Amino acid sequence: MLGEFEYLILSAATRLGEDAYGAAIRQEIEDATRHRCSIGALYTTLDRLEAKGFIKTRMGDPTPQRGGRPKRMVRVTAMGIRAASDFYAAVTRVSRGVSWETNRVAVR
Amino acid sequence: MGDEPSRGPMMTRVCWRLVEILSLMLHPDERDVVRGDLAESGAAGSQALCDVLGLVVRRLAAPWTHWRPWLTLASLVVPLGMLLSVVSRSTADGSAVYVWMYANNWKWSDLGNAGFWHAFTETVLLVFKGYLALACWSWTSGFLLGTISPRMIQTNGVLFFLMLLFGALVGAPRYFAYYWPFRYGANGPVFSLMFYRETFPLIVLALLVVGPSLWGIRQGERTERLRPLLRQVLWIAAIATLPAMVIQNPELSVSLGLFRRREIWGSWQIWLLQLVAYWPVGYLVADAIGRHSHRSVASPITPTTPSQ
Repeated sequence: MLGEFEYLILSAATRLGEDAYGAAIRQEIEDATRHRCSIGALYTTLDRLEAKGFIKTRMGDPTPQRGGRPKRMVRVTAMGIRAASDFYAAVTRVSRGVSWETNRVAVR
Repeated sequence: MGDEPSRGPMMTRVCWRLVEILSLMLHPDERDVVRGDLAESGAAGSQALCDVLGLVVRRLAAPWTHWRPWLTLASLVVPLGMLLSVVSRSTADGSAVYVWMYANNWKWSDLGNAGFWHAFTETVLLVFKGYLALACWSWTSGFLLGTISPRMIQTNGVLFFLMLLFGALVGAPRYFAYYWPFRYGANGPVFSLMFYRETFPLIVLALLVVGPSLWGIRQGERTERLRPLLRQVLWIAAIATLPAMVIQNPELSVSLGLFRRREIWGSWQIWLLQLVAYWPVGYLVADAIGRHSHRSVASPITPTTPSQ
């Protein structure tokens, strides 16, 4: 079972696709949650996800925008997609009928 | 850091400088990636400092979730740090008397006296033997730390030196407080001088413990490249050195009751154990010869062989 932050990273990385790398994932998470995402939490969680086989990372090419420094590119594996889907399904199931879920549907 | 934004005020510059220093503790690849992320996101200096500090702390803390670092800390770092600080203090106090004898009571006229040279040579050899043994023990301790946990080398190194400092400033003086009436009674004039009482032990600690330990840690790190059999031999020699350090130290052997058992001191086993303590000298000579011959063989093919 994934952790909440692990799920956020997998979702952000999947959405970014080929452009998924540290700073971009961080930005996606901050935009979605409206909370700061620390670099420490991001990179240690990326390591954990890689150790679990949910993502694969590689060093990308350096860009001038980054002062000539490389990116850590992220690709979500099939196992990672499955884990994220399971997590989402579990959250959806467990949220059915709870007040914030019904309110949200009503607002829509 | 080249391209980081928001430079300007003094505080920002200090923050970015700290970011640079702290990020040196990260793996080179990760350091580049993180610095790139910070440059791209346009983070302020204080924010960048918090981010890098957080990552460094997480990286340093990660191994401590396993039992091995705790075992290394309890079985090697703490005991070796305390033991070496006690032995260092003992060696410093023992040699301080001789150093005082010659440095503070020097007479040029003695140089013409044959008896002076005889006593001087004996003293120099005695002090040198003690210093060499202390340097070898320190080197061995560093070597063990470097061999046992190459990944934790920075953390273990810092903890080891903190332990040495704690031992030198708090542990050893308390331990020796029991012996001071005996030791300092006869040699009162020497230890009434602040230099021999306070400064000299710290000089000995820095030169004969901290320096050789650092060297040993670096050498220990390199043993991963050695053959397993040779590594085992080195380990046995290193471990045999530790009891030698305990029994050879007068105060420690008194504490352990070994001093009363005079029959063991003349045995060949003790002699051999004392000799094994000097194994780092043999190891370093063999290592230097090995590298020199390797370079000699390589030089006809590649005239500008990089250093190993």
